[in-house]
Amino acid sequence: MRTTALPAAEATRPRTVVVGALLATGAVFMAFAALVAVYVQQRQLARATGQEWFPEGSVELGPAGMMMMTLVLSMVTVQWAVQAARDEDRPHGFIALGVTLMFGAAVINQFWFVYTDTAFAIDGGRAELLFYAVTGSFIAMLISGMAMLAVTTIRSLMGPFGRDLAHGVQAAGAYWHMCVLCYFLVWYVIFITK
Amino acid sequence: MTLTEPAIADSEAASGAGGAAAPESSDEVAAAPSILAQPFVTSDAAEVGRLFVLTSLLLAVGTSVIGVLLSLGRTEAVAPWDLFGGFNAYFRMWTLYRMSFMLLVVMPLLLGVALAVVPSQVGAGNVAFPRAALASFWSWLIGAVIIVVSVFAGGGWGAIDGVTGNESDAMALTLLGTGMVMVALLLGAVTVATTVISLRQTGMSLLYVPPFSWSMLVAAAVWLFTLPVAVANLVVIYADLRGRPAIAFGRAESPDVWLQLDWLVEQPAVYIMAVPVLGIAVEAVGATVGARSSRPEAITVIVGLFGLLAVGGWSQDYFTAPQDLRDGLVYVAFGLAAVLPLVALAGGAAELVLRGTKTLDRLLDVRMLGAGAALKLLGAAALVGALRVIEPLDLLETTATWAVFHGVVVAGLIAGVVGLRNWSHELLIGPLSVVVGRGAVALLLGGGGLLVLSDLISGFLVDAPDLMALSLDGSAVLNVLAFVGSILVAAGAAAAALGAVSALRTPVMTEGDAT
Repeated sequence: MRTTALPAAEATRPRTVVVGALLATGAVFMAFAALVAVYVQQRQLARATGQEWFPEGSVELGPAGMMMMTLVLSMVTVQWAVQAARDEDRPHGFIALGVTLMFGAAVINQFWFVYTDTAFAIDGGRAELLFYAVTGSFIAMLISGMAMLAVTTIRSLMGPFGRDLAHGVQAAGAYWHMCVLCYFLVWYVIFITK
Repeated sequence: MTLTEPAIADSEAASGAGGAAAPESSDEVAAAPSILAQPFVTSDAAEVGRLFVLTSLLLAVGTSVIGVLLSLGRTEAVAPWDLFGGFNAYFRMWTLYRMSFMLLVVMPLLLGVALAVVPSQVGAGNVAFPRAALASFWSWLIGAVIIVVSVFAGGGWGAIDGVTGNESDAMALTLLGTGMVMVALLLGAVTVATTVISLRQTGMSLLYVPPFSWSMLVAAAVWLFTLPVAVANLVVIYADLRGRPAIAFGRAESPDVWLQLDWLVEQPAVYIMAVPVLGIAVEAVGATVGARSSRPEAITVIVGLFGLLAVGGWSQDYFTAPQDLRDGLVYVAFGLAAVLPLVALAGGAAELVLRGTKTLDRLLDVRMLGAGAALKLLGAAALVGALRVIEPLDLLETTATWAVFHGVVVAGLIAGVVGLRNWSHELLIGPLSVVVGRGAVALLLGGGGLLVLSDLISGFLVDAPDLMALSLDGSAVLNVLAFVGSILVAAGAAAAALGAVSALRTPVMTEGDAT
C-alpha cells in the first residue's frame, strides 16, 4: 500500500472550545478572587480599628450551608452530563443538564431568601456594599453558567451530541466547577468567618 | 496530514478560514458582503486585526494631542487648569491620557497585529474563535467611544474639586466603558492564546513557537491575570457609585476612583503592554538580517520571564497603606529584576545581527531601526523602574513613574510600526512606506526619549512627591523638553497612522518597498 493513500491523521489538539473556555474561566476566577480579596482586606481593616463588620446575628449560616450542599450536588450532576455527552447518551445528558439547571435556580432562590433575611441596605456601609458586590457578582457568574448549560441543552435537543457539542458541555462543566469553587470562597469568607 | 499543512481542528476556525479564502464560484462572489458591511460580518481575523490596528493608531493621534496639551501646561506658558477650564477638567484629561494610551492604543494595536499574524505563524487557517475576535473589536470600540464621550461630558475616573449630579452619572458611564474595553481585550487575548495552544501545527512544541506568537501567548496569560483584578475593582466602584451616595470606593468628588486603578499604569502592571514588543523586536531583527537564533528556547524563556515580572494584580495598593506594599521586598525585586530579561533579549537580538547579513541597507531597514528603538526605550523604562524602587532615591511618587509609562507606551507604538512593516501581507495592507516608517520611528524614539529623560530628572528635582507634575519649580527647562517630546510623539503617531491609511490605498508592493 502506498503511504500517500492513507487518510490524514486527526489533529492532536482538537479541544479548542475547552481550551478557550478554561482560559476565560481563569479570567473570571481572577476577577472574583480580587473581589473577595478586597472584602477580606476591608474587613481586616475594620476589625483592626475596632469597628463592627456585620451586626451580631444578621448573617445566618444555615441557608449558606444549604447552598453549599446544593452546589456540591450540582458538581456531580454536571459531571454526569459531561460523561453522558462523551458517551453520546442523550437521555442521561438531558436529565443531568436539567437537574443541574434546577440546582442553579435553587441557589438563586436561596440567595433571594438570604437578601430578604439580612435586609441590608447597599449604602448601609462598606460591609453591606461589599456583601452585595461579592454575592451579586457570584449570582451573575452562576446565571452565565446556567445560560451556557441551557444553550448546550437546547443544542443537544436538535441532534446527537457530536464532538463539538460534547466539548461545549465539557467547557460549560469546567466553568460550573469554577463557580462552585467561588461559592466555597463566599461561604467560608462571608458566612463562616463573617 | 504533513507538518506543512495547517492543522485546523475546530469547525468554527475552519469556517472562519473559509471566510478568508478566495471565493471559488460566481455565486459566492454575489453573496460576498459589501465593503461597508464587511467589518460587521467578517470572520477573517486578519481583517479584524487590521481594524484594531487602524483604529488604535487613529486613537493614538488623539491621545498624543492630549499629551501635547498636558505638557504645554507644564511649561508655565499657561496654567494647566486654565488650559482645560478647571481642576477637574485637567484631572480628567490627565487620567484619560494614561488610560487611553494603555487600553485604547498600545494593547489593541499589538492585539490587532497578533490577530492577523499569529494564525499564519502557527499554521492555522484562522484564529480559534473568529466571531469572538470580531465581537472583541466591536465591544472594544463601543467601550472606547463610551469612555471618550463620557469623559468629555464631565465623567472620568474621579475628580479633585467636587462634582455635580450629571458628572457623577457620566463617571459611572466612564467606568462602564472601561470595563467593556477590558473585557473586550480579554476576549481577544483568549482568542489569540487559544489559537497558539490549540491550533498550532502538529509537531510544533510550545518551546519552538515563533517568538511573536509566544510573546502574545505570554501577554495573553499576563492580561488574564491582571485585567480581571481591575474589572473586579470597577465592580466595587460602580456598585458604590450607584449606591447614592457613594460610601468609600466610588466617591465622585475625590480622586479615590483613580487611586484604585492607577496601579494599572504603574510598574509592574504597566509592562503587560510591553511583552509582545519583545517578540516583535526579535522577529523583526531576524527577518531583516535573515538569521535565526541559535538558542530559540532561550528567547522563549526570556519572554516568559519578562511576562512573569509584568503580572501586576497584586500591586493594587489602594486597600493597603501604600508604603507597606511598595517598600516590600517583592515590589522592589520585581522592579529590579525587570531589567534582566531585557538585557538578555538585547543580547539575543545582537546575536542575530552578528549571525546575519550586515549590509547597510539591512541595518538601516525600518524593522531593524524600529526594533532597536523599541528595545532601547523599553530598556530605559525598565532601568528607570529599577531606580524608582530604590528607596533612598525617593522616586516612588514622582514623575519617574511616568518616565516608565512613557518608555513602555512609546516602545509599544514603535513595535506597532515595525509590525506594520514586517507583516503588511498578513495585515492585508500594502507595505508601509520606507520614508514614513523611518520618520515615524525616529520621531517616536526622539519624543519617547525626551519624555523619559525629562520625567526622570524632574523626579529627582522635586522636593515633595508630585505625580501630576503640577509643581513646576526648578524644572522649567525639563518641562519644555517634555513638551517637545510630546510634540514629537504626536507627530510620530500621526506619521504611523497616515502611513497605515495610505498603505490601505496602495495594496500592491512596489519594487523599492520590497527591500
